[in-house]
Amino acid sequence: MSEDSKIFIIKTTANQEKSVSEALARVSKKELLDIRAILSPEELKGYVLVEAPEAGLVDMAIQAIPHARAIIKGSSNIAEIEHFLKPKPVVTGIKEGSIIEVTSGPFKGERARVKRVDEGREEITVELFDAVVPIPITIRGDTVRVLKKEKED
Amino acid sequence: MAEKACRHCLRVLEGLNCPICGTSDLSEEWSGLVIILDPARSEIAKKLGVDIPDKFALKVR
Repeated sequence: MSEDSKIFIIKTTANQEKSVSEALARVSKKELLDIRAILSPEELKGYVLVEAPEAGLVDMAIQAIPHARAIIKGSSNIAEIEHFLKPKPVVTGIKEGSIIEVTSGPFKGERARVKRVDEGREEITVELFDAVVPIPITIRGDTVRVLKKEKED
Repeated sequence: MAEKACRHCLRVLEGLNCPICGTSDLSEEWSGLVIILDPARSEIAKKLGVDIPDKFALKVR
């Protein structure tokens, strides 16, 4: 029954979340275990979430999987992990008029003012402070750090 | 053999075309992995609206 689906958490070696998920899927298919879904969100480093009816079969499945270290006692429910399924765009929090610092690429270390934010493509258009002529450049939203939010006027 | 994600259905796959959408609009930049094994009984699959067991990305650029 779908009511008895619970979420269990497996501790893994850092950066091995994807390989653990894939190995777990393979073991589960081979042994015909009732593991329903495996989730490894990017923001949750060192852990993998498993949807299954009971802890025992998850524990059994991870025994043979390298980099899967242990199952965390207790379980969680869907509501608690639902937010992982809808990741926020990286440009959330960057507003027009904010002052940012570029953290990678040819303009690394430069400071700039945000002119436009494209949420769909996760890109922002900025004007560098140190440029003699203000030229708008478009960069990826994840290569910047916000220094100052937009002014309240 | 880098895995790519379909920009339309978020499926993670190898190759040049998405087998479900038929599109070649794939992206190498994706993050977050969901593996659905039992879509009929999985709550996660229901939330994502998935009805075929497969691998999916949570986010595709």
